[in-house]
Amino acid sequence: MSQVATEAKDRTKSSIEELEFDPHAPLLEVEDLHVEFRTRAGVVKANDGVTYSLGQGETLAIVGESGSGKTVSAQAVMGIIDSPPGYITKGAARFRGVDLLALPEDERRAFRGEKMAMIFQDALSALNPLFRVGWQIAEMYRQHRGTSKAEARKKAIELLDRVRIPAAKDRVDSYPHEFSGGMRQRAMIAMALALDPEVLIADEPTTALDVTVQAQIMKLLADLQAETGMGMILITHDLAVVAEVTNRAAVMYAGRIVEQGTTKEIFKTSYHPYTLGLMNSIATPEQKGTKLIPIPGSPPDLLHLPSGCPFHPRCVFAQAICSEDRPPLRDLGNGRKSACHFAEEVGAGAK
Amino acid sequence: MPSSQTGEPLLRVEGLVKYFPILQGILFKKQVGTIKAVDGVSFELFPRETLGLVGESGCGKSTVAKTILRLDEPTEGKAYFEGRDIFAMDKKELRSLRREIQVIFQDPYSSLNPRMTVGDIVAEPWEIHRGESPKGQQRKQVQDLLALVGLNPDHINRFPHQFSGGQRQRIGVARALALNPKVIICDEPVSALDVSVQAQVINLLESLQDELNLAYVFIAHDLSIVRHISDRVAVMYLGRIVEIGTDEEIYDKPTHPYTQALLAAVPVPNPDQAGTSRVILEGDVPSPADPPSGCTFRTRCWKVQDICAQEVPELIDRFGHGHPSRCFFADVKISETVGAPIIAEPA
Repeated sequence: MSQVATEAKDRTKSSIEELEFDPHAPLLEVEDLHVEFRTRAGVVKANDGVTYSLGQGETLAIVGESGSGKTVSAQAVMGIIDSPPGYITKGAARFRGVDLLALPEDERRAFRGEKMAMIFQDALSALNPLFRVGWQIAEMYRQHRGTSKAEARKKAIELLDRVRIPAAKDRVDSYPHEFSGGMRQRAMIAMALALDPEVLIADEPTTALDVTVQAQIMKLLADLQAETGMGMILITHDLAVVAEVTNRAAVMYAGRIVEQGTTKEIFKTSYHPYTLGLMNSIATPEQKGTKLIPIPGSPPDLLHLPSGCPFHPRCVFAQAICSEDRPPLRDLGNGRKSACHFAEEVGAGAK
Repeated sequence: MPSSQTGEPLLRVEGLVKYFPILQGILFKKQVGTIKAVDGVSFELFPRETLGLVGESGCGKSTVAKTILRLDEPTEGKAYFEGRDIFAMDKKELRSLRREIQVIFQDPYSSLNPRMTVGDIVAEPWEIHRGESPKGQQRKQVQDLLALVGLNPDHINRFPHQFSGGQRQRIGVARALALNPKVIICDEPVSALDVSVQAQVINLLESLQDELNLAYVFIAHDLSIVRHISDRVAVMYLGRIVEIGTDEEIYDKPTHPYTQALLAAVPVPNPDQAGTSRVILEGDVPSPADPPSGCTFRTRCWKVQDICAQEVPELIDRFGHGHPSRCFFADVKISETVGAPIIAEPA
């Protein structure tokens, strides 16, 4: 029976190898992605025209608050959106020129892990508590490659070693609850890296961890990326982490990208009032004894989005046009993009 | 800032110890071990002061707060509120203590009863502490409190789900203020909130402190926010305070290796500084059920010597740094000591 299963797996694997990848096309290109959730209360447009691209060896930050649609866009690319209620209504996600959203499910399944992998915020709920950690990691090889149990276990030990879990040989038979938070996150990274994916999506990988462990995990991810040259998408709400590890950043608000550019440029000059507000609300040592500068109001309810620019009720730059006309993501040259009617003024003021 | 440490402290904690038993067995529970959650914590809190309590999860920050309020009974130690012994109080005295010390919790989603209106939530403390507010004036007083924390007083009949996270935290603050407390223990008050909203709540807490002469114990793991709001900061590791001092002393001149590593691990929101080297601690915090002998940080420390395993270092100012540190080799400099620090170059 197992032989039949193995053959079936070989077939799916070969089926993605037959796809015609264009080695000159960008590693990952997401274009005009629309994702909506049809709930009883109404339709929530979680992604409303999201466009970004990722090159080899590059780290792209997707920054935003809860509900801004940053995780949904990654789930859509991975093909793991629960449907219903989630539907991808429009757009493309091209991996080396091949549109993933047009592929049949069995090919997408073979794609996940093999070419693209994802790690999640909460490693404890991402791991199955009933199976040993090593077994869960080895599952990648058994399922995708049809490797024998003994061989897969050996590979799992190698992987645990690679993500710097001490005494990997003894740890391979532990259960998730026997691991600390940092080690669980490492185990999940091991699982994601098992088949040498070319794209790694890290969804808030360190949010649940303490700062000292967070520094360890970010260092590990940077090291592994340097080793393998994979492209990485880092989803986070922490601007400091963005500054520390990413090359480019896309800031999301209410399901849309509102600003894009290299990380250095965005931190130097923000061209969108929301980004500027986020930067200003960070507590710096110089602000000691003075008030912080928060963004007024709170993030919008996606079921009842404000008219025009969704940020206008909280924006200090808002004019009459902002409540009527939704500003598109405009190219400002130099690789900078902003979805604000007054991007130039905001940028000039930020300087 | 009112950090003049003259006069009587509002709150004085001396050698606080809290052990939790580890029980095993179904019918006959037998103790198989002890979690040393808090192991000898001492500090003072002065009127109108903010004391920051920082440390990683499991270091005992919240247990300290709970024990001071007698929500957990202490194993050992003393705590005095305005000179009165908290751990010797009877039920009636405790009730009055809890009027003076209030708490704001981390999660504004689970700390408010979803079936109660905002008005009932904020007025609930008066149900327990009768006589604080006459029934006829309660509605007016709740509305005043809502206005004080920046909410619309007309929303008194709304339910928690009709508010955003930041607004809910404001409701929690209004409830804590209902009894005119002198001390508010803020247990991670902003970590569940969106980044853009955190600064609003911090500003609110600061202006309320000025207006109402409150003292805060501010528990958090976000070091930059603690620095912003605190007059003094205590750093905890495995149930002990390892270093305590003013915010400048802790952030600009830390002497304990753990404080140094903790501060170095905080990412800097400036891409131009991303290339600078950092101390990266290896491994995890040891289990409080089986903490290392002597200095509990020695298993992760780059300065470790034989004495660290044999003796528990006292929290004292050994070398005239101006503030106490629980390290035999306390030094403002990170390197130039025995054994090389683990410095990593981020990619």
